[in-house]
Amino acid sequence: MQEKKSLWKFGTKQVVYAAIGAALYAVLAYVTNIIQLPGAGNVSIRPAVVIPMFFGIAFGPIVGFIAGFVGNILADLLSGYGFWFWWDLGNGLLGLVPGLIYPLIQDYKAGKSILLAELFVVLGAAAGMGVASLSELWVSGADMKTVIFANFIPAFIPDVLNGLVLVPLLMIAYAAITQRSGRS
Amino acid sequence: MDHIDPRARWIFSFAVLVAATSTWNSAILAILFLIAIIWYSLGRTTWKETHRGWTLVLIMLFTMIVVNTIITGGGAGGVVPEGGKLVWSEGLRLFGKLLKPGLTVERIWFAICQLMRIGSISMFFILIPYTMDSRSYGATFSKLGLPDKLAYTIELAIRFIPSLARSFSITLDAQRARAFELDDVKGGIIQKIGRIAPLIIPVTMNAILSSEDIANAMDLRGFGQRKRTWLFELKYHWWDYAVIGFGLLLTATCLILAHVYKLGAFTVPAFFYQLFQ
Repeated sequence: MQEKKSLWKFGTKQVVYAAIGAALYAVLAYVTNIIQLPGAGNVSIRPAVVIPMFFGIAFGPIVGFIAGFVGNILADLLSGYGFWFWWDLGNGLLGLVPGLIYPLIQDYKAGKSILLAELFVVLGAAAGMGVASLSELWVSGADMKTVIFANFIPAFIPDVLNGLVLVPLLMIAYAAITQRSGRS
Repeated sequence: MDHIDPRARWIFSFAVLVAATSTWNSAILAILFLIAIIWYSLGRTTWKETHRGWTLVLIMLFTMIVVNTIITGGGAGGVVPEGGKLVWSEGLRLFGKLLKPGLTVERIWFAICQLMRIGSISMFFILIPYTMDSRSYGATFSKLGLPDKLAYTIELAIRFIPSLARSFSITLDAQRARAFELDDVKGGIIQKIGRIAPLIIPVTMNAILSSEDIANAMDLRGFGQRKRTWLFELKYHWWDYAVIGFGLLLTATCLILAHVYKLGAFTVPAFFYQLFQ
């Protein structure tokens, strides 16, 4: 029998999932920084962003938020970039928004679930990078044109592309392991 | 810096962030910049340690100040009034051509203010990873009022990093043995993203599978049943209260000056205009 999913539950399992998500995000961001993935033009590829997105979809919005928020803090800590609260918050939203569909998804490999996840990945990237970019209005004194073209678009486009390509693959793999291990 | 409680450091850093973002008054920003230099020097970090963080900040500063404020004038919008005194009012002769750059004295002064504001904030927050023991994060956030479960999540995430890093390394080696090329430059952006899948999927799925055992072990030990204690003990000293008090005083002063006395607006000092006579 399928376990009823509670949207805002934060029990022991969610603590562990959130911690694993944050650590995965940090390590993947660090590893791909070292490998220096070649980007297209000025767009850098940051595949680690799919971790909060997927953890939100698979384990709920709080897990997704912590995986992104704490994961980005730890990634910056490992890479020596310092602490940037608004960008950490934006990365948290990358996981929280897709996490809102968590109770609606039962079969992770169904086409409908994947389409819904893709839609919320785009919304999450827009909300997350939107909040982080808008913070530059009052932190750096940048104007809206600068915020959109220098901050939002270069962050939003690669995040969406990463999410659209990798989240479905992670969902299908997750469906396979849940089926094989008999988990709900 | 080591003698200052991590909670006091976080509170002071956030206090300066609020203070710096509340004003464009160059005198106030200069004072905050000076405080940031003193604070940063207390950390005794080396360039070798912090160069990655500073490179990121310098790229951001270059984009915002040089491109948006000085060249295009975009970044000055909303803060610097339209018009102003042109730096080259007669035009600028370059390679035999007469150019009419729109750079104004106001925009140069605004770039200096941006440099002081972003520089102060960066000095506080770049320092954090180098001067704070990562073992203290959980206890620090818990004592700052974060729920125990959330604080423990941060602690647990830090503990997971070495084992997950090892898992990534093993998976990367195993996939490379199967001719997997992560850093292959061929293909478009979608192909490049797709190329990361053989690395990210096995590591993520293995981590999820092992998490169930960890959660069960924690449940069996009564995790979350009562208030948590921390191995890393934190204790305030008189100097920590002084740091917190100074930070709060600084924020309150900046907010009062900006909102009550209306001294937070951007203005160019007279001496700076005289430099361009």
